[in-house]
Amino acid sequence: MFAYDLDLARRSLRRNPGLTLLMIVAIGFGVGASMTTLTVLHVLSADPIPGKSQKLHNVQLDPREADGYIMGQEPANQLTRSDAEALLRDHKADRQAIMTGGSVAVEPQRPGLSPLRIRGRWTSTEFFPMFDVPFLTGSGWTADDDTAHARVAVISKPLAEKLFGSIDVVGFTMRMESTEIRVIGVIDDWHPEPHFFDLSMGAYNVNEQLYVPWTTSRDLKLGHDGEMTCWGEEKGDQLDAGAPCIWIQYWVELASDAKAAAYYDYLVNYSLEQFRKGRYRRPPNVRLRTVTDWLDSENVVPSDAKLQTWVALSFLVVCLVNTVGLLLTKFLRRSAEIGVRRALGASRGAIFTQLLVEASMIGVGGGAFGLLLAWLGLWAVRHQPTNYSALAELDLPMLGATFAIALGSSLLAGVFPAWRGCQIAPALQLKSH
Amino acid sequence: MLQMKDVSKVYRTEMVETHAVRDLTLEVRAGEFVAVTGPSGSGKTTFLNIAGLLEDLSGGEYKLDGVDVKGLDDRTRSKLRNEKIGFVFQSFNLIPDLNLFDNVDVPLRYRKLARGERHKRIETALERVGLASRKRHYPAELSGGQQQRVAIARAIAGEPTLLLADEPTGNLDSQMAREVMQLLEDLNAQGTIVVIVTHDPEIAARAHRNIHIVDGVASDVERAPSLSQAV
Amino acid sequence: MDFIPIISTLRRHRATALLVILEIAFTCAIVCNAVFLIRERLANMNRPSGVAEEEVVQVILTGIGQKADPDVITRQDLVALRSIPGVKAVVSTNQIPFGGSAWTTSISTIADDPNAPVHVARYLGGGGIVRTFGLHLVAGRDFSSTEIVEARRVDETPTPCVIITQALAERMFPGEAALGKGIYMGKTRVPIIGIVERLERPNEFGGLSERGLAIITPEEISYTEGSNYILRVDPAQRAAVISAIEPTLRGVDPNRLILDRLPFGDVRQKYFKQDRAMAWLLGVVVITLLVVTALGVVGLASFWVQQRTRQIGVRRALGATRGDILRYFQTENFILATAGIVLGMVLAYAINMWMMDKYQVGRLPASFLPIGAGLLWLLGQIAVLGPALRASAIPPAIATRSV
Repeated sequence: MFAYDLDLARRSLRRNPGLTLLMIVAIGFGVGASMTTLTVLHVLSADPIPGKSQKLHNVQLDPREADGYIMGQEPANQLTRSDAEALLRDHKADRQAIMTGGSVAVEPQRPGLSPLRIRGRWTSTEFFPMFDVPFLTGSGWTADDDTAHARVAVISKPLAEKLFGSIDVVGFTMRMESTEIRVIGVIDDWHPEPHFFDLSMGAYNVNEQLYVPWTTSRDLKLGHDGEMTCWGEEKGDQLDAGAPCIWIQYWVELASDAKAAAYYDYLVNYSLEQFRKGRYRRPPNVRLRTVTDWLDSENVVPSDAKLQTWVALSFLVVCLVNTVGLLLTKFLRRSAEIGVRRALGASRGAIFTQLLVEASMIGVGGGAFGLLLAWLGLWAVRHQPTNYSALAELDLPMLGATFAIALGSSLLAGVFPAWRGCQIAPALQLKSH
Repeated sequence: MLQMKDVSKVYRTEMVETHAVRDLTLEVRAGEFVAVTGPSGSGKTTFLNIAGLLEDLSGGEYKLDGVDVKGLDDRTRSKLRNEKIGFVFQSFNLIPDLNLFDNVDVPLRYRKLARGERHKRIETALERVGLASRKRHYPAELSGGQQQRVAIARAIAGEPTLLLADEPTGNLDSQMAREVMQLLEDLNAQGTIVVIVTHDPEIAARAHRNIHIVDGVASDVERAPSLSQAV
Repeated sequence: MDFIPIISTLRRHRATALLVILEIAFTCAIVCNAVFLIRERLANMNRPSGVAEEEVVQVILTGIGQKADPDVITRQDLVALRSIPGVKAVVSTNQIPFGGSAWTTSISTIADDPNAPVHVARYLGGGGIVRTFGLHLVAGRDFSSTEIVEARRVDETPTPCVIITQALAERMFPGEAALGKGIYMGKTRVPIIGIVERLERPNEFGGLSERGLAIITPEEISYTEGSNYILRVDPAQRAAVISAIEPTLRGVDPNRLILDRLPFGDVRQKYFKQDRAMAWLLGVVVITLLVVTALGVVGLASFWVQQRTRQIGVRRALGATRGDILRYFQTENFILATAGIVLGMVLAYAINMWMMDKYQVGRLPASFLPIGAGLLWLLGQIAVLGPALRASAIPPAIATRSV
């Protein structure tokens, strides 16, 4: 019966190619626009570190002044240097890392190359195992390196190739901010999108190429990139250990929910202790968020991406209403034939199915056209000068979603016209009134 | 085979209630060839629609081959229609973009037959009406009489017990009309009940029995002896 | 033209009539909001910065390694840049309107304000900001040479005075003259000695409510902290100046990175690329939507004409002219379009209110109502013209034909 319905559908669509084309184009436009924006949204909201996103937690404390404090408000979104270094010393989680970002000037040894400005991350030894950073050669530094303020660095593959022309550069020295640094590891292309562990540098396309021990970075007074908020009287160096400024991120790895609860308690106790010492002016206000919760609370996905998705979806709705109308006219024009089929023994269900199959063929055609438009649309997005444009690509799930949406919406559009069609009375309309 | 007792059909609009047929009582037995006659507006078409399960009755009882049709759901009615009744319409009503073979195929498709079985029946039906050689042609390429013969083939492909024809010769010239009537008589002779609705007395004369419907009420009329002698 | 019989006919074809109405309604709602968004984005992109845009050039630079005397080098840089032919003024500062990254600070009208201080952008740069950016003073004066705080003395010297923007003056001292009054940075009172007409912030992180709130303080800042040199140049020599910047700075100290030299037009272009993209997308959607709707109307109208061929023939046989038939269909379309527009406007305002809440857009202006209605009426009439003409061409002889 399905094959028969397909055959009948094919004939019917071929009989009026203009109308068929119009319906395919209308659905295609709606699907194409929707898939373009949905893919962008999907890419922007993707889990940047699947497999670990529930084990890695971001720490938030509230060392700010008493003024302006409201019960239950969000704590600070970064840590002060003294808090971060204290937590690191206590070492209460399975793994933990202190970190922040900065830009430095790197001078290639190769003659003829001018200095480069590179984005880097100043962090501690456990960063690399925590985030499953893939190494091509060498490895990260050790806890001893951290303590010794070792002049070492881990660099990215592109930086290695730019500076030395190869990735086999473990042991080589490079000149960073007029200081000699020894390369101890080269990592593969690794840039989680969004850049979840430090959103203050922008959420996408951050492209850090260099990793240096935190202690070393303070020795060398390497600069800071990203957001910094200070309070109180402004005096002294903001990057100092005692400065009332938040500019540092702190991430922990906790293997189970029980451990997460325990660490949360530890943070509350730490805040209480600071409060008693007079350093903190607010009652304990801490958060320990997983990667997904953190991205959620920080509203990572740009509002423009969301708005565009809404626009595209409402466009799809109009295209659907359009299709409903056109399908209705298509089916009602064939009342004579439908009446005959009913008289000859087709039940209402059989006619309903037949018409719905016809609607779904339009859906398949619309899906193919929509896929083409989505591909074009994403090409256009990739050429937009936004931070996330390079990520806009159709992956397999989105491909499937395209056809699902096209088929689903054409079936939805077809329900009412098919129902009206199957209501046509058997053979009553064959005599002229 | 076809038993109606006190059947009535009422059409209601906002203003008016029309009794298309009232207290219609008649019976058609196996092997009969019946003509249903009456002036226009008399209710013949309504009778046909009810008999053919195209419409439901408002009152009374209708048994088709022993099955009471009142209250049957659409699925069962369609099945009954498909298996027991063959229709022949005044304006042929072949589907224009299917060829003859596929047109005769239509009722068989709603029956869950195997492909081979369907093809066999189509061939048989088309041969009975003498159009097997043109099975790949389209209705537009045929004369009116030939189209009606295809319609008859379609009606009998499912081997129905009852053939219902609504003015089958209405759109045909006299030569083709004779051919079609001959075909119907042959089919009747082979065992199919034939009920023709017509206002043409010459057609009515060829039937065994006439049922006359006036103002929604039926009365049996045996063929007048004078007419039967004329045939 | 009698509306009642047309409306009663439409009521008998409820489904298809409703579809036309819905389609027009949705299109109206979406198009109104999309066009409004486009307008808002364009207005946003074109809003003035307050600086002399044709004359301003931004240089972004950074040092390599720790510098012993960054403020000395800065001073030398400024002298060298000033001597490039075509350069009218130079300043070393920390940010630029639409530059992207911002320095902000909290100020208030009272000392140690526990609640809701105002977050403003803070421009540093010794005495050169007003002159180099080409800002327009509407009250008071620029900093005098005694008020400028040298870079090395910044930590120990309190801010002596401040210049604020007019928007900030109106926010903090509504209805009064702000000149001479003081703002509080923490505990310190800083007198306002000048008000500039406008100085935009580098970014919009504070939202619409904090737009245009900025202060200028007279501390100098060296390039290692501020990363920005701003030049005011003669527009005719801008290209030449830009190419001279890097060699000039290398001449003073080669050991640093000149990251970018941008005329202000490029700064603005870069900052608003997102808005531009959005405006384009919305424009495409609007046009496609109108086309799709028009074609849908054509389809449905053609269907109606075909369904009513017999009736039309009968009407013509009874004496209707071609013009009568044409007018019938256009009136019918007008009625449907009106219903669609009414529903669409309600939807449009509902959507607008939702967007005002979630996406910080303004309120849809009332002028959109007549313009949107007119556009959709026109669209409907054009779309129905083809089928209506075909209807009027139906010969009266159809009435007598059977089947």
